[in-house]
Amino acid sequence: MSRLWFVPGQLNATESMSTSKKVITREEWEKKLKDVKIRKEDMNKLVMNFLVTEGYVEAAEKFRMESGTQPEIDLATITDRMAVKKAVQSGNVQDAIEKVNDLNPEILDTNPHLYFHLQQQRLIELIRYGKVEAALEFAQEELAPRGEENQSFLEELERTVALLAFEDIKNCPYGELLDLSQRLKTASEVNAAILTSQSHEKDPKLPSLLKMLIWAQNQLDEKAAYPRINDLSTATLEDPAV
Amino acid sequence: MPTLAASNRPEDLAASLSEVVGVENGAALLKTLREVKNQIIGNKTKKLQYLHLGAVPKIVSVLASASSGTADGGDSVIIVQAAAALGSFACGVEDGARAVVEAGAVPHLVRLLSHPNGKVIDAGARSLRMIFQSKLAPKYDMLPEENMRFLLSLLNSENENATELAVRIIAHSCDKREEQNALCDARVLQRLLHLLEGSLSQRDASLASIVAIVKNNSEVARTFASIDNGKSLGALTELIHDRYPRTRYLACMCLIAIGEVSSFAHDLQTKTNLILVLAKLLEDSSEVGDDSPFALLDMIADKEELQVQIVAINVVEKFCNYLEKGSIPPRRLQGILLALAELCSKSEICRGQLISPQFLNVIVDALQHENAGVRIAACTCLKNISRSVKNLCAGRFSNESFIVPLVKLLNDPSTSVQDATLGAICNVSIDFTSKKAAIVKCGGLPLLVQISKSIDPSLRLKSVCALRNLMFIADGTLKEYIISELTISELTCLICDSEHLIQEQALALVSNFINGSIDLIELVFAEDGLIINAVMRQLRSNFATQVSIQGMFLLCNIAAGDESHKEAVLSYLIPLKSDEYAHLLIRFMQSKDKLLRTATVWCILNLTDPAGANSSDRVRRLQDGGIISQIKTMVNDPWLDCKFRVRKVLEQCMIPQSMRM
Repeated sequence: MSRLWFVPGQLNATESMSTSKKVITREEWEKKLKDVKIRKEDMNKLVMNFLVTEGYVEAAEKFRMESGTQPEIDLATITDRMAVKKAVQSGNVQDAIEKVNDLNPEILDTNPHLYFHLQQQRLIELIRYGKVEAALEFAQEELAPRGEENQSFLEELERTVALLAFEDIKNCPYGELLDLSQRLKTASEVNAAILTSQSHEKDPKLPSLLKMLIWAQNQLDEKAAYPRINDLSTATLEDPAV
Repeated sequence: MPTLAASNRPEDLAASLSEVVGVENGAALLKTLREVKNQIIGNKTKKLQYLHLGAVPKIVSVLASASSGTADGGDSVIIVQAAAALGSFACGVEDGARAVVEAGAVPHLVRLLSHPNGKVIDAGARSLRMIFQSKLAPKYDMLPEENMRFLLSLLNSENENATELAVRIIAHSCDKREEQNALCDARVLQRLLHLLEGSLSQRDASLASIVAIVKNNSEVARTFASIDNGKSLGALTELIHDRYPRTRYLACMCLIAIGEVSSFAHDLQTKTNLILVLAKLLEDSSEVGDDSPFALLDMIADKEELQVQIVAINVVEKFCNYLEKGSIPPRRLQGILLALAELCSKSEICRGQLISPQFLNVIVDALQHENAGVRIAACTCLKNISRSVKNLCAGRFSNESFIVPLVKLLNDPSTSVQDATLGAICNVSIDFTSKKAAIVKCGGLPLLVQISKSIDPSLRLKSVCALRNLMFIADGTLKEYIISELTISELTCLICDSEHLIQEQALALVSNFINGSIDLIELVFAEDGLIINAVMRQLRSNFATQVSIQGMFLLCNIAAGDESHKEAVLSYLIPLKSDEYAHLLIRFMQSKDKLLRTATVWCILNLTDPAGANSSDRVRRLQDGGIISQIKTMVNDPWLDCKFRVRKVLEQCMIPQSMRM
């Protein structure tokens, strides 16, 4: 019996969907939300996690004192990590490498991708400042052996060295390597590796929670109309569109 | 005057290391050490360069003199740099690890672990951890009480680096039963279980240690499984679904090790889960993906139940789909092919799944792979796929593209590859039609003949076996061609080879040659009976039953020929002058081996065939030799095949002279 029922039901599904959506009013919604309890300590921990992961060391210190929330790692390590990140961001890659090695020599020894990307960044900096000879020598001595170890490194190396072939390097096909965004990319890779070596998650939890919120809203959209949060920065509840 | 290196070139830095030895040159030494360290970290080429420049012993002596002095701050900084440099040398480069161990760094580094400065302890522990990750690290003898106490103090230390070092030492060094028991008694398993909740690297190291402690030790495995009323197994079962691939892999290894020696984690469902996790892991881009097929291989080797299960849950299909994507790292490819080979060794369904044009392309590429391990794995796989008689009969190996690369491998510089290739060729050449021709057309025959003269007995054996299979129901032209390549004198040498197994295969080769055509039987009598004389010599002097069986089957085949052949066989078996051979026949018929009895009776059956003109004469000679009365005692032989032929012989002997042709 149920089988016979099922077929027409499915055929009508698309038609009936728009009309059968449940509408939840703002009052009902707020009442439901009120029933959800969230502990203050959890909130504080999320904030602390965000500050620590993103490297806001002074803010984390102040927040620790004011809220009494203990950070998951020694705040001193944040300073070191930030110094490394900053060195890459400002193009002092060699300095960054030495700092990482002082922090923990295992990081670069056990992470060939990261090591290659740092060396590649060094090469990019040499090219950026027009040190052609030094760049060539560096590419040959330091980077070429890595390319022999790994095919994908070789391809990246070729792309980077190709920069030397153009007069106007900013507008050449691989010009994006010279963008600030390339430095930021490398810096965030180092940051993530240091965090992992400290057994810390490399991403803060807060963005994941927001991502989950968006996903849950998208799921719910198919079934109901309800006060949605569209602007994450203000978290305002919008009236349901009926 | 402190010496500074002339430049940052490795040659200058390495040279200045020996000049600045002596702690009084602190600043210059520190600068040099730091520079060397920063150059080698992550850089394999530089590590090797410094190794050749002899930097490691120099740094060890710096470490030794710095750590033996009074422990003021200046020393600590140098110690930290020296320790870090040594750790890096040991990381990722085998020669480096060897150099560090040989230069005697380990005891100095161990001493650092009791240093008052936490940073020095960290540096020492990290360095040792790198060293103990290498297979070349010395085993730590944990049985002496003092050593065990030190190990436990590290394990229970507050310093995470020290704890992890202890865990790695256990994983690396614990391989004796007494060590396993001692660690178990010291409640190390409980501590390791606790560390599973720690940092990622602690967790992975702990899993590896648990494997080392429970491996092949059912008592310890039982103890582990009962910790906290079985929570330990629960923790491992959760970890096989962890988000980190390495952790999943190591947790699988733990459960496999426990399952092998105890009833815990031994049910089919758990094992199926493990198989699925391992099969999924091979897609991981890290080392784990290379190791997982080997873990799977160990797990399923010789376990038919699991092999059936693996085929049932479509893992073979997943493997094939993955392989067809191409560009797979060599070790992983090797592992997957070996796992498939293992599955094909028994499962006909699996063989059927692998006979597809796509998979054969994978095999063809693997046969030509630059890595010898992959080539061997491809051959092994091919060998086991072609075990399928059904598919061979149906000629389902119609794609012959793999024959050319396979034959080419007979010339491979590696003996192991040649060996595996012969294994594959042996099976492929049984093929009833096309493959034989293909192998010959690619020039395989002269190569096989050449290898049959090799000094390596295994190669000799397999090449003769391949030739024998090539000979199996081949057409007359091919048979003649094989013999002309091999030559009668060479064949005689093989029949008289020092190895029994080779003698047996060579005799079988002759049997396959003469099988089916009376004309071809002449071969055994050619060149003054070189072959038949060799056969008789082997029958007389050989105590290896298998050789006697093949010899008797060969005589049996000859006796199936015409009158002259029957006469010849009988005259060899029962010569007029001596009764030595008659005893031989009686001895064979009294053998415990059913096949030898059958072969002998069968031969006599052919000799007494009433269709032959001289058959009654031959019966008489057999009677005179006491053979028939021996046969009479065998009418109730427990082996049906033999019993049937015994009765047949007796029937034939009863036929009166007048009724014979």
